[in-house]
Amino acid sequence: MTIERLTQLAQAYGADLRRWPDDARVDARALAAADPAARRILDEAAALDAVLDASARAEARPALRDRVLASAIEAGLRPRARRAFGLDRIAWTLGAGWAAAACAGIVAGVGLTSHVTADDRADAILYQSTLTGVDDIEVLG
Amino acid sequence: MGVTADPDEDLVRRVGQGDPAAIQALVARKLPRVLNLAHRMLGDAVEAEDVAQDAMLRAWRQAPRWTPGKAKFDTWLHRVALNLCYDRLRRRREIPTDAPPERPDESPGPDRGLLAVETGERVNAALRLLPDRQREAIVLCHYQELTNIEAAGLMEISVEALESLLSRGRRALRQTLSDMAPQTRVPDGRASYRDAGRARGGGR
Repeated sequence: MTIERLTQLAQAYGADLRRWPDDARVDARALAAADPAARRILDEAAALDAVLDASARAEARPALRDRVLASAIEAGLRPRARRAFGLDRIAWTLGAGWAAAACAGIVAGVGLTSHVTADDRADAILYQSTLTGVDDIEVLG
Repeated sequence: MGVTADPDEDLVRRVGQGDPAAIQALVARKLPRVLNLAHRMLGDAVEAEDVAQDAMLRAWRQAPRWTPGKAKFDTWLHRVALNLCYDRLRRRREIPTDAPPERPDESPGPDRGLLAVETGERVNAALRLLPDRQREAIVLCHYQELTNIEAAGLMEISVEALESLLSRGRRALRQTLSDMAPQTRVPDGRASYRDAGRARGGGR
């Protein structure tokens, strides 16, 4: 790392190397250990860091905290009881099972009915054709 | 932006299941963070509270359908809060007011002396004077301690552009607060920079 690059980084991120890019920290530490000019640059940046650290912090007032907690309930976040959830799931599964069975019964019933109806209709047509045949013989002599 | 392990993943999952303890823990972990982000971006305690409350409400709505692995929850929450801040900054520009919003934080902690409060307010006032993007860069990197990659990703700029904004912002702050610097200046010859092994992760 050059002294120019160290200066750039100190001017941007300050003297706290934890704020620096990962890949620059080791080189910066080595340069600061070896070069008094690098240490001076970091000291100047540290002075500004200290001033910035004096910035007034906003404290979260209890009233704000309470409003935020209340908003969690308003947003629909409610604890789900594990047991109730399990029962719901079982009830849903049983309901779905009964519904599936009913559907299967209806499908089978319709299929069977249409099969029976078709057989009956075929028999009736055959019977009628027989009768017609007899009549024709009788008429035609 | 590469997604590393999300330290909030388990907490957010439990919040999504309505776990009251997790909801309280997320408030304790994120509300001060979002509040300070908004406070430094907007320079107004009341508006900062509104933004923080709105951002947390969106977090509650998001938690049940949060998909781990896509982004870190903290980064997503910063995105939400920043958007809310920029909405308010835009509105200020569209509807100029006579009095700039400089309502000070009226809740100093008991351990903070008057001088410390005054000093803190001066720094915040200097931050308010910065152009929005310079202030955003400094707030994200210095105060919110996001990595350079996370901050650049949130701001949708390159890391080089982020460094440029940071440098210009810090230079302006040094000039504005030049009378404060000598009091906190570290004597020459002492290693004032910190390089403890705290893992911030994800930096370039």
